Amino acid sequence: MEELKKIILEFAETSKKTKFYFKDLEKAVQAKMPDAKSREIKKAATELVNEGKLIYFSTGSTTMYGLKGRGITEDQ
Amino acid sequence: MAFAPKRPQKEINYEEVRIYTEEELHNYTEEELKNFKIKHDIPALEDLEKGPWPSFVADAKREALHRKKLAEGRTMVDKDVVDDLLGQLELSFNDGETHWKHGGIVGVFGYGGGVIGRYSDVPEKFPSVAHFHTLRVNQPASKFYKTGFLRALCDLWEYRGSGVFNMHGSTGDIILLGTTTEQLEPIFYDLTHELDQDLGGSGSNLRTPSCCIGKARCEFACIDTQDLCYELTMHYQDELHRPAFPYKFKIKVDGCPNGCVASIARSDFSLIGTWRDNIRIDQEAVKAYIAGEIKPNAGAHSGRDWGKFDIQKEVIDLCPTGCMAMEDGELKINNAECNRCMHCINVMPRALRPGTDTGVSILVGAKAPILEGAQLATLAVPFMKAEPPYDNIKELLEKIWEWWMEEGKNRERLGELIQRKGLPRFLEVIGVPAAPQMVKMPRTNPYIFWKEEDVPGGWKRDIKDYRMRHKR
Amino acid sequence: MALSQERLGKYNPEKPTENRITDIGPRHFWDFFPPVIQKNYGKWLYHDILEPGVLVHVSETGDKVYTVRCGGPRFMTAEYIREICDIADKYCDGYVRFTTRNNIEFMVTDYEKVEALKKDLLSRKYVSGSYKFPIGGTGAGVTNIVHTQGYIHCHTPATDASSMVKAIMDELMDHFTGMTLPAHVRISIACCLNMCGAVHCSDIALLGIHRKPPIIDHEVIDSVCEIPLAIAACPVGAISPDKTPEGKKTVKIKEDRCMFCGNCYTMCPALPLSDKLGDGVAVLAGGKISNRISEPKFSKVVVPWLPNNFPRFPEVVEVVKKILNAYASDARKYERIGDWAERIGWEKFFEKCDLPFTEHLIDDYRLAYDTYRTSTQFKFTEAAWEVSRAAGGIK
Repeated sequence: MEELKKIILEFAETSKKTKFYFKDLEKAVQAKMPDAKSREIKKAATELVNEGKLIYFSTGSTTMYGLKGRGITEDQ
Repeated sequence: MAFAPKRPQKEINYEEVRIYTEEELHNYTEEELKNFKIKHDIPALEDLEKGPWPSFVADAKREALHRKKLAEGRTMVDKDVVDDLLGQLELSFNDGETHWKHGGIVGVFGYGGGVIGRYSDVPEKFPSVAHFHTLRVNQPASKFYKTGFLRALCDLWEYRGSGVFNMHGSTGDIILLGTTTEQLEPIFYDLTHELDQDLGGSGSNLRTPSCCIGKARCEFACIDTQDLCYELTMHYQDELHRPAFPYKFKIKVDGCPNGCVASIARSDFSLIGTWRDNIRIDQEAVKAYIAGEIKPNAGAHSGRDWGKFDIQKEVIDLCPTGCMAMEDGELKINNAECNRCMHCINVMPRALRPGTDTGVSILVGAKAPILEGAQLATLAVPFMKAEPPYDNIKELLEKIWEWWMEEGKNRERLGELIQRKGLPRFLEVIGVPAAPQMVKMPRTNPYIFWKEEDVPGGWKRDIKDYRMRHKR
Repeated sequence: MALSQERLGKYNPEKPTENRITDIGPRHFWDFFPPVIQKNYGKWLYHDILEPGVLVHVSETGDKVYTVRCGGPRFMTAEYIREICDIADKYCDGYVRFTTRNNIEFMVTDYEKVEALKKDLLSRKYVSGSYKFPIGGTGAGVTNIVHTQGYIHCHTPATDASSMVKAIMDELMDHFTGMTLPAHVRISIACCLNMCGAVHCSDIALLGIHRKPPIIDHEVIDSVCEIPLAIAACPVGAISPDKTPEGKKTVKIKEDRCMFCGNCYTMCPALPLSDKLGDGVAVLAGGKISNRISEPKFSKVVVPWLPNNFPRFPEVVEVVKKILNAYASDARKYERIGDWAERIGWEKFFEKCDLPFTEHLIDDYRLAYDTYRTSTQFKFTEAAWEVSRAAGGIK
């Protein structure tokens, strides 16, 4: 789990994009850990949200993940 | 029979939880309301106060007055919020354009859905609605309420939000329209702790499931719509609050093929109650309809003189499969030919009833036009029993989700994925054989995607072998 | 316990997870059912519409429940909901129900109470004279309109909804309180092609549409959007990457390809497309959701564009009335608008409704999947049982 979280954070910090779909996280993780299951990746992402490291970004119809403090923030 | 919640429900006693006193709730007179003007000029909206249909403008104005007359500190968002909402609406009429901006990073901690950010793009003119976020509150199945709950919700929302609602949003939620970012968490805290009530879905989540009135007050319902809806909602709370789907996913439960919650047009996973035995017939009641003793279609057409009820013309001839006939004064139905369209039952509810061996038909992939055009749901499973704990339905649903999460592109609805990959591939995924029930007609083109294993000898062939028989 | 009154309530921003309750779902339905509904759950035998807006349901136990149905504005305030509660407390032991189509239902077990309840409901009017609780919405008439947010609270609308509903229902009041049509008529409004109201299977659907391609906000597009997402959002591939003369990242748009869906704007606020002269209302007709007699079907576009003439949309109201009047005088009993149009043929529909047919009404977008079954109208054969068995539904 910690390993998954590390990969997700690394990806979130270094990716060109500042907002990612869950699928992007999934791909990033599976590139390094091909056996990682979606369910586990989601759990890891949820933990990161609960730790305040990742945030959700929603257009209302579509939701994405972002790294807290990077890219578009709440104070528009 | 009775249904039990997953955990004990908190009884809401309004007197115990209330915020506002009786005096505060009745703080203006009819006379004051008559003379009341909001702080903006709204001639176009005031025109909508006229006419017989309930006027949302007149309603909003009394909320504006009521808020205005509350003491300072008795609302946590500006008292002018309804004034500014109407003012901005009037400006939109003049400009022919909306003045709301996109959402963004607002929500309650740990949830990816349930809150939709909303900001005014003219905050200098309408400062009270500069931040005006929506909360979606998961409605109780089929929308029955006790007043204590509603009154408590009104107090909470008037105190910490605009006091303006949608009852209900298109997906089914109670919509709370307009509050500030600061108040989101306090609202969520009191919703969960005091009202024993959670938020609904938004974004790339399972959206709040909804259902028709079902057996609570409808003789046509073939399944326990509320129980099924509640069970799926509770079982998939994580999917509802924490987005990990490619896009939205809607579940709706209709009790019969009349389809009062429109699941066939509006849900990715449509559960429609049906039966597989025979329509129950009360021949005496059939005779009573024929004799004109009972109004057809429960009196739905009684506003106009359509002449005497004619069973041949109004029922038998309109049956889409022609499976009915009168024989020796009795109504006969060839049930093997019936496609359960409900017409005869709708016309003669006292004589005809759905069968008793009931379940659901499951259809998948309905959606509104964005992106690939609107779709109605496609029949995937003709019949399934639908009994608690509904494991068969959950297993099917999870198979679908797994495939969609794996194969679906970002912002691709299930129906679009099925179109892109083909219905045969979808059937393979959910592990059911093809059946003629799933199509209106077989394909008209011969471009069949044969697989190698379908063909004897496989696809590997030697060109030399071929050339031994055919010169170049 | 009581609702909190401190500014931040009992929430502690320092410790967001402290005492946090999550994933509890909605209130359970059973507790909110009136006693007569609990007692007769699953035992209802039949119903009758006693008069427009008043239903009786009869149970095998002999119990009856009378329902008085009122049209409500979907947009409503705490003041209005409290008034609903006052009525429910006075007549219905504190229970009330809302329907899928934004109606409000008051239920009583005693017929004696029905008259008093009706009288009370109809006596409640706004100071400006409109009813608060008009009674109707049953049987072969026009029930309440389902609709979306519009300018009230949405960021992508091409028209407004609450005002259009009010304008139309003011004119169709007699159809709400009467049952003189050949079958019921469902009207729906969605403010843009996103159709969060999913109006695409309604007898009459009114749909906000844009007609001008997006304007590109080159200055900010790279900072407020993920450009690749905006490009990917276009269903017709009309958006491609570009650079401004100063070398900033932006996009360009093939305007002749644009179908004005607004999907790019949903994903990127730097591509607005709303416009006072461009935006307006398309009218669709002949859709249905029920499987009754004919299969569920889509609504078809019968008027490509009408102006946004706020606040009363006279052109839209006129078209709705034209369709309703032609349908009322020509359709057979039980025939929905779509069934009627198909029986008489669409060319006759346009003639009878006095609506012009233009090239805009001929489809030139993509159509697929029309061979899939989209209904519950099928017959059981052995093949169906095989599906059911494989799916795990039956033995």
